[in-house]
Amino acid sequence: MTDLDHRYAAPDTQPYAPVTGNLADLLERVLDKGIVIAGDIKIDLLDIELLTIRLRLFIASVDTAKKAGIDWWETDPALSSRAARDALAEENARLRARLDALEDALEEAPREDAEDTREVAR
Amino acid sequence: MSECPAGPATVDLVCAFAVTRTPPDGAALAAVTGHEEGGPLRVLRAGGLCLVVQDVPAALFDEDALAERLNRPDDLERCARAHHRGVEAAAARGPVVPLPMATLYRGDRSAERAVTGREAVLDELLDRLRDRTEWAVKAHAVEGPDGPAAGSGAHRDRGAGGRDYLSRVSARRRDRRGGHAKALAEAEKLDAELRRYAVAATRHRPQSERLTGRRSPQVLNAAYLVENAESAAFTRALARLTADGRLTAVEVGASGPWIPYSFARWDEEPGRTLREVGA
Repeated sequence: MTDLDHRYAAPDTQPYAPVTGNLADLLERVLDKGIVIAGDIKIDLLDIELLTIRLRLFIASVDTAKKAGIDWWETDPALSSRAARDALAEENARLRARLDALEDALEEAPREDAEDTREVAR
Repeated sequence: MSECPAGPATVDLVCAFAVTRTPPDGAALAAVTGHEEGGPLRVLRAGGLCLVVQDVPAALFDEDALAERLNRPDDLERCARAHHRGVEAAAARGPVVPLPMATLYRGDRSAERAVTGREAVLDELLDRLRDRTEWAVKAHAVEGPDGPAAGSGAHRDRGAGGRDYLSRVSARRRDRRGGHAKALAEAEKLDAELRRYAVAATRHRPQSERLTGRRSPQVLNAAYLVENAESAAFTRALARLTADGRLTAVEVGASGPWIPYSFARWDEEPGRTLREVGA
């Protein structure tokens, strides 16, 4: 069940063996939380902030970004209206879970309550 | 106002890959291509530290150009791999603090200032990252059969009444919830065990099913900072933990050793990023 995707090299000659290229893994690392964190670009050069460029990337092409494996800002409420929808979806999921639990409880309830159960189920 | 008056027609930006105390030698550096659109990699001294940088054309690396290019999957991948090559080149002789992709400066002087202004933090990071690498471990819930055959076969033959149907549905739901809870529990156990072999651990946001292309959710997306001397022990532990039959609710994948990107966030408080586990 394990898919060990690594190679060993003699540690003293090559501390960082080539990691066979899972692009998502790489992007997760080189991008971290966004594109530009350090450097002039965020203040002097282009007068933009990290959030700005993230947002612009987001707006520019959600679908392309998703295909490339970057979609985490979608769930960042600060960045997107989609995140707001996700919040609704989450609440929906929570409510469903509660409903499931309630239904289960009803089903497991003693026979006398069966009439109620049927009514609820309708 | 402008720092570079009367500049040439093509303005270059300085793209920085990593900070190190042990710059690679010129020949090694010359053998590596950074961004294909830029010049050769070079070392920039900044106080007691060095940056590995590359001059890149502003026309391709300014805000608009970057935003457009990074939205094209092929360009994004090329850019990410180029960045990784630059970081690897910087790491040839010793520890590095890798910088996020597309860390761009207007010129050498501001790049230097950025480093010298954070020298204490960078020094501390370099010390903590020395002789350590990162391992990525992901766990996915095992995909259960989704049909009515899941688990509760007993319910199946019981007529087609409304109540039977409801009870079949809820039994299935229970199975699914139970499976997910079990997967989460196994992932936590795996994580706890692996942390014993790591000096620090952190979690990335679990990737969505859309991204992983699986129907079952990712329940763990972790990175571990491991002493080189412990690497073998770490992978042995991983192999042991995931040996047949031990974890039944998750599938585990791992990659490494990575340059410790996930533990080298120089804009964050190092204490927060590098929460050491155990002693």
